[in-house]
Amino acid sequence: MPRKINIKRSVLAADEEFASKIRERLRKEGTLMVNLIGSPGAGKTTLLEATLGEIPFSCAVVEGDVATSRDAERISKTRTPVVQINTQGGCHLEAHLLWKALDEIPTSGLDVLFVENVGNLVCPAEFDLGEDYKVAVCSVPEGPDKPLKYPHLFHEAGAVLLTKVDLIPYIDFDGDLFWGDVKKLNPLASCIEVASLTGKGIDAWTDVLGRWLMEKRR
Amino acid sequence: MHELSMVESLIEELLKLQKEHGWERICAIRLRIGAMRQVIPEIMHFAFDITVQGTALEGAKLVLETVPLKKKCRTCKNMWTDGDEALFLCEKCGSSDVELVEGMELEIESLEVE
Ligand SMILES: Nc1nc2c(ncn2[C@@H]2O[C@H](COP(=O)(O)OP(=O)(O)O)[C@@H](O)[C@H]2O)c(=O)[nH]1
Ligand SMILES: [Mg+2]
Ligand SMILES: [Zn+2]
Repeated sequence: MPRKINIKRSVLAADEEFASKIRERLRKEGTLMVNLIGSPGAGKTTLLEATLGEIPFSCAVVEGDVATSRDAERISKTRTPVVQINTQGGCHLEAHLLWKALDEIPTSGLDVLFVENVGNLVCPAEFDLGEDYKVAVCSVPEGPDKPLKYPHLFHEAGAVLLTKVDLIPYIDFDGDLFWGDVKKLNPLASCIEVASLTGKGIDAWTDVLGRWLMEKRR
Repeated sequence: MHELSMVESLIEELLKLQKEHGWERICAIRLRIGAMRQVIPEIMHFAFDITVQGTALEGAKLVLETVPLKKKCRTCKNMWTDGDEALFLCEKCGSSDVELVEGMELEIESLEVE
């Protein structure tokens, strides 16, 4: 005869323990961790390249991709410590993978740890990595309806970055619709327009990172 | 297809619990899933049924309970339930400083075991 047992435990409990361990370690170090989430091709790696060239803080990067270490190779050209995680088919990073990757990154004295998640707007938003902020990265060619289609990510994001705004003259993109929906989902998110290839908006983005870092260390 | 990611984590968690407690069999699993998780029950059941094949959980019944969105205004403390995943605006005072107090759950509520 089956008996009923109350569990009341997160489905993701095992991984959440790793996320807590990461959060605790970075809290001690005073390192800000930012989890970049966006579709494949949204411009996450290009944004990182542009950011790392400008930012006045010591940074490290963890790259998450299904396969290849292409993105890590791009990042290492900026002379930033970088570790590549390949998920072998997995559509998102999980905290236990990041915990292992952190073995290879000296976090002591580190200001900002960037994680570029696997290109995907859905699953990466479900899995806590121990980050201080999730950042939604969405590009102009993807169209302005993405916030409403992926409300979970946009609701949770500490900042929403609209990338490739240099393409606005060539693409029918309703910016008011995009930002209006972001505001409805997440009135407190920092909203930034960037064009990583021209450098536009990178200063506003590094300002936000600076503010988050200051708040974390206060 | 985030249902498949959730199912994979769920199965891992269940097999761990089963081993820890020495249950012979898990017959049914009751999950509470917040509406903000945007889980489609049919896809969740489908993903579950194919992923448990060949594991100790084969044949287990999955029961899903959806937790509606509950929002709270930080300005006037108004609390309400609505179905709009995209609107975080207080109906009473118009403030946009609104938090989601329920609707993000992803929880194993209870099990039936032998
Ligand atoms: N026009 C334009 N193209 C961009 C910009 N940022 C990235 N791209 C291009 O978009 C493509 C994908 O960029 P990538 O950073 O690899 O995307 P990821 O998959 O999100 O990391 C590349 O061909 C980039 O050159 C931008 O600001 N403007
Ligand atoms: Mg990339
Ligand atoms: Zn109110």
